[in-house]
Amino acid sequence: MKVMGIIFSNIYDSKLGELTNHRTVASLPFGGRYRQVDFALSNMSNSNIHNIGIITKHNYRSLMDHLGTCSAWDLNRKNEGVVFLPPFADGNMASVYKGKLEALYSAVHFIDNPLYDYVVICDSTVLCNVDYRAAIKQHIKLGSDVTVVSTASSANKKRPLILRTDESGVVTDMKINSEPDADELAGMGMFIVSRELIVKVIRDAYARGYTHFERDFLQRTFNSGELKFGVYRFDGVVLYNGDIESYFANNMALLNKDVRDGIFLPDSPIYTKVRDEAPTYYGKGNKVSNCIVADGCMMYGEVVDSVLFRGVTIEEGATVKNCIAMQGSKIGKGASLECVILDKNVTVTEGASLKGTPEHPVIIKKGETV
Amino acid sequence: MNFKKKECVAMILAGGQGSRLYVLTESTAKPAVPFGGKYRLIDFPLSNCVNSGIDTVGILTQYQPLQLNEYIGNGSPWGLNSSAGGIHILSPYSKSAGSEWYSGTANAIFQNISFIDRYNPTHVLILSGDHVYKMEYDRMMADHVKNDADCTIAVLNVPLEEASRFGIMNADENGKIYEFEEKPKVPKSTMASMGVYVFRWEVLRRYLIEDDADPDSSNDFGKNIIPKMLEGGHSLYVHEFDGYWKDVGTIDSLWQANMDILGECPMLDMRDTKNPIYARNYAHPASYIDPEAEIVNSYVAAGCTIYGKVYNSIVSTGCVIEKDVEIHDSFIMPEAKIQNHSTVRYAIVGEGAVVHANARIGDNPQFYPAEEWGISVVGKEKEVAQNGVIKPKEIY
Repeated sequence: MKVMGIIFSNIYDSKLGELTNHRTVASLPFGGRYRQVDFALSNMSNSNIHNIGIITKHNYRSLMDHLGTCSAWDLNRKNEGVVFLPPFADGNMASVYKGKLEALYSAVHFIDNPLYDYVVICDSTVLCNVDYRAAIKQHIKLGSDVTVVSTASSANKKRPLILRTDESGVVTDMKINSEPDADELAGMGMFIVSRELIVKVIRDAYARGYTHFERDFLQRTFNSGELKFGVYRFDGVVLYNGDIESYFANNMALLNKDVRDGIFLPDSPIYTKVRDEAPTYYGKGNKVSNCIVADGCMMYGEVVDSVLFRGVTIEEGATVKNCIAMQGSKIGKGASLECVILDKNVTVTEGASLKGTPEHPVIIKKGETV
Repeated sequence: MNFKKKECVAMILAGGQGSRLYVLTESTAKPAVPFGGKYRLIDFPLSNCVNSGIDTVGILTQYQPLQLNEYIGNGSPWGLNSSAGGIHILSPYSKSAGSEWYSGTANAIFQNISFIDRYNPTHVLILSGDHVYKMEYDRMMADHVKNDADCTIAVLNVPLEEASRFGIMNADENGKIYEFEEKPKVPKSTMASMGVYVFRWEVLRRYLIEDDADPDSSNDFGKNIIPKMLEGGHSLYVHEFDGYWKDVGTIDSLWQANMDILGECPMLDMRDTKNPIYARNYAHPASYIDPEAEIVNSYVAAGCTIYGKVYNSIVSTGCVIEKDVEIHDSFIMPEAKIQNHSTVRYAIVGEGAVVHANARIGDNPQFYPAEEWGISVVGKEKEVAQNGVIKPKEIY
């Protein structure tokens, strides 16, 4: 039995505002060292899925730069590996696709490869450490047409896909863009489906003008009883970075040991692009407390409850609280920051002061000086 | 098969046991010994080669090569995964007429003449796998070519009182060597050989074959090849190097070299990006620093969890420093665990070692007379029991 993977790199771009102006959701930095796509790719690589297509729409230069030959994920292979699938605009497609279902049409030639039995389809928005082999086992055992990897979700949080199941895991109710009840599960944007079925669905959707993956494919075929839906329930740590508020909160969640231990498992590492940075230097006058710190930082100021990516400099007398500082940011002497997201290579000048809230963190755009 | 001709091929001598590092090299080759938080000693000559534009490197291994081979892999961390050149592990092999281990530095190269010949190089650069330094070999090569030398030897000016510990080059004002003295009692100069040589390959090749035929030779570059070339009237020159260089063959020098990367203006700057030192990186998350942690004048690499206090020290990749631990002036190698309430002073803690709670490793030098003083060492993957004590100078 052979399995291939499809990763969407651009879905939900719009909700992450300035952070995805110049990059895909997949290449959004996360957790001090990673890009979001690292989780999707590592999960597949660790589950022995080595033939992976990444569907891209726009702004994917940063993603290509990050992935390179994919050797960091052990996906630089002779016969398999990672393939970029940018929009394939032939004469029949009037413009670049609108929804996930339409996007898959661009990839249909890649997917329709008779060597593979199953396809794992996954977004770059949900970060976790999941073993797809167990999910595929469940898919076969239950005899489902489509398996949705799902998790218990706290009520009152809107999710793209909400499911109710019977005891065996067969889906009995499905809602889209809705809030789950206590006994309902939230889809994690990860689907298992046979290669033959998904190819048929994609071709059919194209012929009928369907574009929306959840509504036009999942919900329509569920409601008509055409397909059998099952759930693979995942009980590990799930970080859903659907918008800026949750992105910010989930970075901060890594300060919690249980969250780190639940997502960075020693037997299934999360891989990322390798950089050659010296270890982080803690100099005179630094006070670092409850922080995630990557390599290559220079610490002279005070940093509390924050996530620092590689090569961040905190100068003397600066105070940084509840912040995310991406690669290469520099925080000048005596500057004071609270609830700020500094995109890559931002310079905060001496004595500057910025303050946001956890719900609405201040975002400083890539390369800016404030 | 046709190979592209190379101007220069580098050969790194990485077969030594490093017996003066005791437990640290019990199960690994000296060039694979960790350094500076995320590096291994072999990273220095390899990165220097790459930064000097040398893309063909042979690594001569013999003693405990498993970890070293695995670390080097296909050479991609150093950009040496090239099909026209790249990195080659050269271990001793059996031949139709007998087989032998590498019996000396010159013999190791002798046994790999056919490897070097494949690239038909004009020059061969001979390096050691266990020296810590950043050097631009291309500058040395330029001197070598300018002098039309058969051999150029990199030298370092050492204090006169230490000169008798080194191989000393006596050279005229143009840098032309007229005499070489191994560990002279009364040194005539302070130019110490760094064990970095460039040879004209055609000349070295001849001398290696002659040397092998000589049953009285100990097949060593310093002892045999260099003196014989001087005797033979060849032009040998020195190339003066004025940067940081350390042979980390002893516990004290390994500890000292690690301390030398600390501070605001360190003697050896690992942060300088002009000539970076590359290393193989592993999949570790960023480090977590707890509110109770305190870290001063120290390096902490990725994948660590720090709850305790770290002063003037280096904590390598993937270490756990638990609550109320105090670490002073020490080098903690990768994946080590120091448990609650332990103290570590003036020590080296080996890779994957576990120091259980309330242990005391090392002490402060001022409490000890010089002859009883020394760096404490916990070996690779050793466990120090709860309440255990490792005294200064003790090697566990």
